[in-house]
Amino acid sequence: MAIFVDKHTNVLVQGITGKFGALQTELMLNCGTKIVAGVTPGKGGQTQFNIPVYDSVQEAVNKHRVDASVIYVPAPFVQEAAFEAMDAEIKFMVIITDWVPLHSEMKIKAYSKCRDTRYIGPNTPGIMVPGQTNLGMISPSAVRPGVVAVVSRSGTLTDEVSAHLSEQGIGQSVVIGLGGDPIIGSRMIDILKLLKKDEQTKGIVIVGEIGGTMEEEAAEYIKAEFDKPVIAFVAGRTAPRGKVMGHAGAIIMGERGTAESKINALELAGVTIAKSLWEIPLLAKKVV
Amino acid sequence: MRLYEYEGKGIFKKGGIPVPWGSVVESAEEARRVASEIGKEVAIKAQILTGRRGKAGGIQFAKIPDEAANVAQGIFGMELEGYKVNSLLIEEKLDITNELYMGITIDAENGVPVAMVSAEGGMEIEEVAKRNPEKIVSMLVNPLYGMRTYEAINLVRQIGLEGRALTSASRILSQLYNVFVANDARITEINPLVRTNEGKMFAADSRCEIDDNSLFKYPELKDLRIQRIGNPWERKGVEGGVNYVDMEGNIAVMANGAGLTMSLLDMIKTDGGSPVCFLDTGGGLSEERMRNAVSLLLKKTKTDQCIKVILVMVRMMISPPDAVAQGILEAIEEVKVKTPVVVVMRGRAPYEKRARELLGNSAVSLCSSVEEGIGKAIEIAKA
Repeated sequence: MAIFVDKHTNVLVQGITGKFGALQTELMLNCGTKIVAGVTPGKGGQTQFNIPVYDSVQEAVNKHRVDASVIYVPAPFVQEAAFEAMDAEIKFMVIITDWVPLHSEMKIKAYSKCRDTRYIGPNTPGIMVPGQTNLGMISPSAVRPGVVAVVSRSGTLTDEVSAHLSEQGIGQSVVIGLGGDPIIGSRMIDILKLLKKDEQTKGIVIVGEIGGTMEEEAAEYIKAEFDKPVIAFVAGRTAPRGKVMGHAGAIIMGERGTAESKINALELAGVTIAKSLWEIPLLAKKVV
Repeated sequence: MRLYEYEGKGIFKKGGIPVPWGSVVESAEEARRVASEIGKEVAIKAQILTGRRGKAGGIQFAKIPDEAANVAQGIFGMELEGYKVNSLLIEEKLDITNELYMGITIDAENGVPVAMVSAEGGMEIEEVAKRNPEKIVSMLVNPLYGMRTYEAINLVRQIGLEGRALTSASRILSQLYNVFVANDARITEINPLVRTNEGKMFAADSRCEIDDNSLFKYPELKDLRIQRIGNPWERKGVEGGVNYVDMEGNIAVMANGAGLTMSLLDMIKTDGGSPVCFLDTGGGLSEERMRNAVSLLLKKTKTDQCIKVILVMVRMMISPPDAVAQGILEAIEEVKVKTPVVVVMRGRAPYEKRARELLGNSAVSLCSSVEEGIGKAIEIAKA
């Protein structure tokens, strides 16, 4: 296993019969993902692509070994879906759904700590281990098996960065979208801690963007105790400055959050900065 | 979505937080009427969505109703920080002994609400944060349990309040937290929280922002949010489900996803190009959203002669190529402008093949890589 998942991971899909969930399930199956069950309340007893559908997560886990759940339910229901999965003892979740209310995100995060559950998202393209499994929507044609981990805050940019690496012959150990929202299950530093111990991964490409303090936080960790080569691409160097969230926002953020702050912190930590997408594979070739 | 001061005070009042007596007006005549109802010296405050109105003359005082009408007339004519003043809040003027600060927002690093209080509230609170950070005390709140009464008391005690001031302030802090939760806020802030000569406390100002992802629970706010967007192109963007931002240059940039869009802007700039605006369509594109987005940029080129070229990049993870390509072609057909459109469509292999079939021999220049697309757009812009 690289991190979180591999070809043996049994996957549950919450929201499997929805328009989006069904389309995604088919794409995941084409990547070899072992989807053992789906959940849609009221649709229990039906099947979707020959996968049994249950009314509740508890029913699904009673009948199948479930290692991970991918959540596609609409935003207003995500909090309930995530709590349901955690209460059914599922220890890894991928919350794909976009536009999840922030107060739901806070509660999911707080409850995940009580339940000892790890998750990525919300608002993530998911996690893919090339050639093994895909929990989400990362394009199979963008990736190939290899030794570079891609850790990204973005969706489409994650796919594009992976494609740039693959086109130059650099494969990935894992491609992981952290999620574009302010409150996400696994922050960059959490993933780096796992990648440090992962033997498959020889180098890391971080795809960051302006806003928040995840890159600064990751930079401090890299400087202190991360020994694998890291390349970073930070989007938003030339974007117009956003509006700060009141005094409270300014007090918490201080001078952090800008592209300069992130790039400076990462450079100080010994990370190589790529200025364009096509520079990423060139830099990666030098270090792995 | 940021609320006006008077709207924030409205939800404060509902939550039990004391606010000064007053009401919002839209004319000098109404200002006179409200001032005479209040019957003492009043504060006249411009209702605009920026925090720096005080220094710009957006807050003034009047002793009698006639003066209130005159002052109101003056402020209605002002443009403050780029905002036109359409409404004023007329309030009783308070006899203030000191100003505190109180705010609840989200600490993204920990993923929980954070409460902050300071005995040195007022306009300089950010300076206090920089120079004397120890004068602002804060506490993380467990979102599953909410803020406990004793937690509020313990926090407020740390800024030196005691007796009745301690109990009033800690009750207001608890109420502010409840308002934060009940309204799905990203921030609820009172700056300043004032103490009067009589020892009472009032929220003299309000700063509230509602989480945009929660607006489905507040349909009336959702419509207001769109109406209040000042830039007409941004407003049209939000109506069409996309995010539009103006810049200064000659290349209009559009992509699906914020990270991808921002990275295109950076690379264009690095390579000597200059983006004039950008549009992020978000993921999971339908034909309709694609058509709206491209047509918005094409219409913009009609009004803005600076725009030399439009660069469209779509990463097809789940956005189907037929919808994307048809959306682009329909928009070009509809708007009928001659501005060149450079398109990069990448993603799942069968999708890329289909995109070539659909756009290979069309009015747009289809490029197979990001580098090529950026190069082509810059070349056209410079020609």
